[in-house]
Amino acid sequence: MVAYTGFRAFRNILTACLLMMATQAVADIWEEGDIEAGQALFNANCASCHKVTNEVLAAPGLAGIADRWGATDELLIEWIQNPQGAAESGDKYIKSLVDRYVPTYGWMTAQAVSPDDIKNIMAYVQNPPDAAPVADSGSDCVTVDELPIVDSSDSSGIWFLMLLVLFLIIAMAAAGVNRSLTNASLEKDGDSLLEEGPYSTRIRNWTWDNRVAVSLIGMFFLAYGAVLGYQGLMRVGVVEGYKPNQPVKFIHSVHVCENEVDCKYCHHSAYESKHAGIPSTNVCMNCHKAVKKGRRYGETEIAKIYDAIGFDPASGTYVDGGGKNGYTSPQDSYDGEPIRWNKVHNLPDHVFFSHQQHVVVGGLQCQNCHGDVETYTVGRVAKVEDINQLVDKYPGLIELSKPTLTMGWCIECHNKAEIDLASSGYYEDIHHRLKDNLRGNEELRKYMEDDKITVKELGGWECAKCHY
Amino acid sequence: MANTKRYWSGLDELRETEAFKTIQGKEFPEAQSVDEFLTDERLESTHTGRRDFLKFMGFGLTAATLAACETPVIKSIPYTNKPEEVTPGVANHYASTYYDGHDFVNVLVKTREGRPIFVKSNTETGYGRVNARVNASVLSLYDEARLDGPRIGGEPSDWAKVDSVVSNVMQGEGRKVLLTNTVLSPSALRSIKQSGLEHIQYDAIDYGAFRASAEADFGVNSFPSYRLEEAETVVTIGADFLGSFADNVIYGERWAAMRKPEAGKMSRVHAFETNMSLTGSNADYRTMVKPSEQGRVATALLAQISGQGSAGQLSDEATKAVVAAAKDLKRAGSKGLVMAGSNDLAMQQVVNAINAALGAVGSTVFYDTMTLFQGSSASLKQLTTDMKAGAVEVLVIADCNPVYDAPNASAFAEALEAMKHTVCTSMFADETAAICKVNAPTHHWLESWNDLQIEGDRIDLVQPTISPLHSTRMWAESLLRWSGKNQDWYTYLRSTHASDYTSDAMYTNADWNKAVHNGFIGVEVEPSQQVSFTGVGTAQAVSELNGRKGGAVEMALYQKTTMGAGQHAANPMLQETPDPLTKVTWDNYVTMAHSDVDAMGLNGFIGQEKPASLVKVTVGGSSMELPVFPMPGQTPGTIGIALGYGRGANGENIGKAAFQTGENGSFETNTDGNPVPVGQNVFPWANESGTFTDYAQYDVTIEATGGTYPLACTQIQNTFMGRESIVKETDFTSYFAERGAEKGKASWNELITLAVHEDVSGDGTIDAQDAKPTSAFDLWHEHPVEEVGHRWGMTIDLTTCTGCSACVTACHIENNVPVVGKDEVRRHRDMHWMRIDRFFASDYSLERGEEEGTSVIASYRKMEDPSANPQTVHMPMMCQHCNHAPCETVCPVAATTHSNEGLNQMTYNRCIGTRYCANNCPYKVRRFNWFNYPGYKKFANFNPAQDSLMRMVLNPDVTVRSRGVMEKCSMCVQRIQSGKLDAKKAGTPVPDGSVVTACAEACPTHAISFGDLNDKSAGVRAISENNRAYHALEEIGVKPNIFYMTKVRNVEPNKA
Repeated sequence: MVAYTGFRAFRNILTACLLMMATQAVADIWEEGDIEAGQALFNANCASCHKVTNEVLAAPGLAGIADRWGATDELLIEWIQNPQGAAESGDKYIKSLVDRYVPTYGWMTAQAVSPDDIKNIMAYVQNPPDAAPVADSGSDCVTVDELPIVDSSDSSGIWFLMLLVLFLIIAMAAAGVNRSLTNASLEKDGDSLLEEGPYSTRIRNWTWDNRVAVSLIGMFFLAYGAVLGYQGLMRVGVVEGYKPNQPVKFIHSVHVCENEVDCKYCHHSAYESKHAGIPSTNVCMNCHKAVKKGRRYGETEIAKIYDAIGFDPASGTYVDGGGKNGYTSPQDSYDGEPIRWNKVHNLPDHVFFSHQQHVVVGGLQCQNCHGDVETYTVGRVAKVEDINQLVDKYPGLIELSKPTLTMGWCIECHNKAEIDLASSGYYEDIHHRLKDNLRGNEELRKYMEDDKITVKELGGWECAKCHY
Repeated sequence: MANTKRYWSGLDELRETEAFKTIQGKEFPEAQSVDEFLTDERLESTHTGRRDFLKFMGFGLTAATLAACETPVIKSIPYTNKPEEVTPGVANHYASTYYDGHDFVNVLVKTREGRPIFVKSNTETGYGRVNARVNASVLSLYDEARLDGPRIGGEPSDWAKVDSVVSNVMQGEGRKVLLTNTVLSPSALRSIKQSGLEHIQYDAIDYGAFRASAEADFGVNSFPSYRLEEAETVVTIGADFLGSFADNVIYGERWAAMRKPEAGKMSRVHAFETNMSLTGSNADYRTMVKPSEQGRVATALLAQISGQGSAGQLSDEATKAVVAAAKDLKRAGSKGLVMAGSNDLAMQQVVNAINAALGAVGSTVFYDTMTLFQGSSASLKQLTTDMKAGAVEVLVIADCNPVYDAPNASAFAEALEAMKHTVCTSMFADETAAICKVNAPTHHWLESWNDLQIEGDRIDLVQPTISPLHSTRMWAESLLRWSGKNQDWYTYLRSTHASDYTSDAMYTNADWNKAVHNGFIGVEVEPSQQVSFTGVGTAQAVSELNGRKGGAVEMALYQKTTMGAGQHAANPMLQETPDPLTKVTWDNYVTMAHSDVDAMGLNGFIGQEKPASLVKVTVGGSSMELPVFPMPGQTPGTIGIALGYGRGANGENIGKAAFQTGENGSFETNTDGNPVPVGQNVFPWANESGTFTDYAQYDVTIEATGGTYPLACTQIQNTFMGRESIVKETDFTSYFAERGAEKGKASWNELITLAVHEDVSGDGTIDAQDAKPTSAFDLWHEHPVEEVGHRWGMTIDLTTCTGCSACVTACHIENNVPVVGKDEVRRHRDMHWMRIDRFFASDYSLERGEEEGTSVIASYRKMEDPSANPQTVHMPMMCQHCNHAPCETVCPVAATTHSNEGLNQMTYNRCIGTRYCANNCPYKVRRFNWFNYPGYKKFANFNPAQDSLMRMVLNPDVTVRSRGVMEKCSMCVQRIQSGKLDAKKAGTPVPDGSVVTACAEACPTHAISFGDLNDKSAGVRAISENNRAYHALEEIGVKPNIFYMTKVRNVEPNKA
């Protein structure tokens, strides 16, 4: 307790000092900032919620902030660094801000920016360079407009081929009928019949005449067919590129690339559980309580999550079972239809895969298995070739050859991936047990032959690691 | 006039042709014989050629293949508003308390995504350890037969209507009664008081005499609490404290505390009993006595110990045993303990006198504030009389099922039916609820809040682990509503603890949350109350017991470890868990001594093709036909029948698994069209002659009917036929003499060696002395597991294993082991990953055969017969995870392989079902999936995976196996994997004890230990290096990772 009080006193003094320093350092926060530096800071810290225009993203737009701000400069700094702390100051203007915005948008996250940074940001906010689109923050995001709206596979070729075959059959049948009729009339007239027999006879004769060429070509097609057949069979159960349509037209690239939402913000259970999980609707609401309109689909898609959780966008509040709004959090009594997503990555029931093991312990990047999700519209099973192309972009990615989500792919990686013994005391312990007790065992000596220790060498190829 | 139209099925009928008249009387048209059909000449022109057949087949195959190529779209529905504490894929555990009127245990409930899927002991704060019934009770939550809402007159209704109806009659005139089993909840008692109902309690299994005798002898109205962990000599007269006796959940652990040979002393247990019970089978000395003699055993003991009273007449054998027991008791003095199971006042008074004479009261037996078993069967009888006389206006029944388990059930049912206002709060439309006018179903214990006070100041909490599945309401809350207090149960319950029991601090949320987290409030008090023995009624009790007469055949009713008093009849997992002693599943039966069975000419061996003989048992005018199971250790001249069977005899919907199914899976029906229950109800045969219900009848008659009935046993062999390398055992004296011996050197646990043709002993000649231990012989390359990486292993102490089967149910629930039903068990196709082999000792041996000049084969045959009163061994048996596994070498597809962690892995998706591995397994622990249990109709009526609700209990971390694959114990590899992951995240080696298999976790006596044998600090490693540790069937050299510990009995050396 003593230590704690002491610490608190110390913290208070520290804050006071910092505040004083801050006050002195930025005598006038609204002037002389570095616009370029401010832009970089703004994009890094503020852009996911604020815009420099009047447009509302996940929080009010900041245009005209210098004219609007009705409290002291010190409070502005405090307001950014520690919003709840600033609210305790009792300032009237701050209180009006809290009353007006917090119920809709929630508290702003405290930002780790220095008063100088704030000065730069304010310089940028007041004078944003005209031609700077927000999304163009040096990234190579696929902008929304470039994305195709519907991802449906084009199957017209097959129909065309089938029509062609059908047409040929009809044409030949018609010609056959024609010939028969001609023959019949010739026979009736007592004339000699047409020389040419039916197509089948003609084809047979022609084939016999050109038998060498035909058999060569035939063998070629046979071999080709066998290869195709083999490849086809090897694709059975391979689901690369599987990309089901989803009930909500969620665009990954908008969220991940443009708005720079981290994968684990939505798929946080990848770090805590074996499932990466589809985010629950309340996670969507963290942003979409404020963001009520999408850039591509307007309000229609976002309205689906409102329906599911019971949110009234007009009032910015949640609805209860009786249809009454005014609640600040989702109501259990609201009986909405949950969103039924289509599962993309399906493993058979006898396979147990743990995200936590791979992401937290193994330190793998999401892209290693899921590809460049930030360029996707809907979630899909990435193709291994596409993942391999990301090696330059994501150093440390392991290049593999087998199709994704096959067992070959899994064990190929387990054979290649090395274990960082220093990463965990667990591995160190196991390593020592192995190293110290080799006892001339051949299999184990191999373990130490190269300097690498792969997942396989610690049992990553054993059945019961994944099947139980 | 109303209906003069006639309808015809055809012109033939209208015209009444001759042809029609001939067929009219026949249900089926004349059958056309196959020959007639095949020789039809016209057929020849209509043949389907081989080529056509192949075309159809080919088309069918292609169509099926193409159809299968379509990838199914799988839906995934996330939470809309996810609770913060739930992470999909991560289990949560909640502290709660199980109480069903008999067993009281603190538990931890494991939930996955909000579904309770496993119940285990709360060892940190816990009272008791889960037994098989508590363990499996999680299944009953999901029983489809539960009432989904209130009912009035059998018709579905709603709560508002029920409340108005019941409130009205509650406000009316007349006597209003609430009938329950013993209520331990202070809040429920408070609500009963507020409701103004007259509260009557009775217990399904009556223990009234225990309280009454304590009242008479010590002046305290308390249920005794036995300190078996202190007792050096325990004499039990029919008290099955390890199996079915009151509070058994706590005695296993306490008993085991005194059964550690390494500690240098062991308790000695003398059992005098009629049926072979779990306690008897684990006792050091067991004596068979008839129910009428049990009292005289007590009086003889009293006479021996204090010289008080006189001994009645006993057989020589029993007298000898009593003298021996008395000698041990006297030696133990105040560390001695006598228990009796009989609910007979005289018996309990004599036992009290013995304990008092020993000085055991206040040392090994305490009379504190134990609140269990306050019920009184006398007041239930009185209530029945009053109901019949019309003196009761309203009867509310909660937490009990008197129409099934009351001894005067039929009279009670009749009176209940005649009453106008009857309310039952049962979860099911069971025997009682079906008669009551209003059904107001209560929550399952996993859905409900509750508080329970079993002793002292400590209050154990029950917390809901799932939202109520149906429109149900805790019965005490219903009482509140009906008495005009509209308060929800949770608020009410909290207010109870704010004002009554603890300081105001308890009222704060933080303290309350902590209490809920721990599962209890308050502190456990050490026993302190000292009571003094008055001994007023002892003399009379002695003369009463000595004068007790028995007929030619006496009967003792008992409860099975799996079925208890019948609350769990619809639990398929428990129905299929074999009784630890008879190994029979899905039935109750008459147990009889082999000599009696032979004398009556009944079938003495039960097997797949050998059904049991039926006998007609008559007790006081009522009779039933039951199959006979020949039971070693059953007292000749007595029979035993298990209570708790025959639920739903009038077709009440109490759950599908409570009824018998035929070979095709449909219910067997009786002449009324009702499904036939599993087993028969013998509650009506409880002895009602005294004040208290006793579970023995002193004169019954049995006669053979000549009929037979199939019983499904999982083990039909009684002995291990001299294969001593399976079970090693010794007596405590011999153990003590060599307790310091090196492992493999002690005479009672010698290493098994094989002779070699090389001079090992170094004496210059090659002779019998030249032998090497079996571990020196290798047929295959050694698996690199010793000291390398992990080596998961297990030790099982046969000294403390009681055979209680808690591990069996825990294993099966954890690992989604399918329930296959009686018919399949009878064919030995049970899927049990873990079984407990029960071996009886035989009088015969090869040596004796040699002496008597019997041939070896004939000797072995004789060794199959158990002794009349055999010693028993319970041996848990599961996959031994051999490092030289014979199963692995014969698998043609490498579906079973060895991991470098010492596990014998079974890969279902690779298995093609040749079953070579099962043939080659020396321990016979592999199980083959003959059917698609989660889908095939034969199993629809009892397999949990086929029930739309009960499948929620399946463990999502373990595959539900399909038809055609082999399966077996995996050493809970899912737990190993998750334990390793936790260690990796924490950056430490796997801490000892952090990975525990389901069986080890469930074991109430800590007989099973699990861990990493390569971890030098692991407890299991130390145990495996103990000189008692051995491998079963060590001579075959398969090097298992499971060690058994030599069984040590505390008997005199010559008896071992």
